[in-house]
Amino acid sequence: MPESKPTTEREGKAAAEESADAWFFCLRMLGGRYAFEAPLVTEVVRLGPLTRLPAAPAFLPGVFTHRGEVLPVLDIGQLVGRTAVPIRASTRAAIVHCGPWKVAVVSDAVEGLVSIPRRTLEPPPAEAGGVAEFLSAVGRDRAGTVAILDLPRLVETARARAVPAGGGAA
Amino acid sequence: MTDPTSEILMFQVGARVFAAVVHDAVRIGAVREAAADELVVETALGLPFSRERGIVVATQQAEVERTLVVDQVVGIRSVPESDVHPLPAFAAACIGSGAVTGFVMVDEAPMLLVDLPTLVRERAGAAAPA
Repeated sequence: MPESKPTTEREGKAAAEESADAWFFCLRMLGGRYAFEAPLVTEVVRLGPLTRLPAAPAFLPGVFTHRGEVLPVLDIGQLVGRTAVPIRASTRAAIVHCGPWKVAVVSDAVEGLVSIPRRTLEPPPAEAGGVAEFLSAVGRDRAGTVAILDLPRLVETARARAVPAGGGAA
Repeated sequence: MTDPTSEILMFQVGARVFAAVVHDAVRIGAVREAAADELVVETALGLPFSRERGIVVATQQAEVERTLVVDQVVGIRSVPESDVHPLPAFAAACIGSGAVTGFVMVDEAPMLLVDLPTLVRERAGAAAPA
């Protein structure tokens, strides 16, 4: 039946998408594996010396220069009320673009790209507060469980929680 | 053809050295020469260790000057404008002071660039009675 062919194609495409793998970028921090949409990452760099900013929130430990560009560092641990990611000469960061913001996310270790079958993605646990607030899904790959972060929402929330210019102290 | 340059004033507050555009400073003086109510001691840059040197800054109010207390005035330097960078957008949106406007690369290290009138105005605003 000719009329049914487009529907069948759509269904086939949807089924293929359902069974396909999704690519995420994975970091180790907060004692676990956290990932976000891979296209958000432009590169992974080793942190240079940090310049601390006056009147900055704890989740913004400073800025560093990379190829002549000054980049802000985002510490997700501090944002969600956990311990700060230790910043050493060996610390690496993923440079990400989230809407208008370009930040370097620090972590304990960079795992890199991981592919997770979409069918394994499950809704995040219904916990309020902490990092759970920013999870969009939980998936599994060969190495174990991966918590998927909604990074654009996390970055935007960080900005919104920061003290507006002129309203803070040192 | 040489790059256009900016004149920056470098000064120290506490353990850190900051930069400001030279024309933001009216003059450099001793703190003892300024009236007590004109002094700006604690700012977003922190507290100076000593209270001897001051950078006199004009405010938006006509004929009103404030003296930013610093530990020392390090000097004036001419830097290529290509070495002056704005604060990254995310950092600018997050920090609690509008006085930090960017960075100047000095000897390949970023030095915070401070808008002196905004710095003293913020402090005056914070110190004003509710």
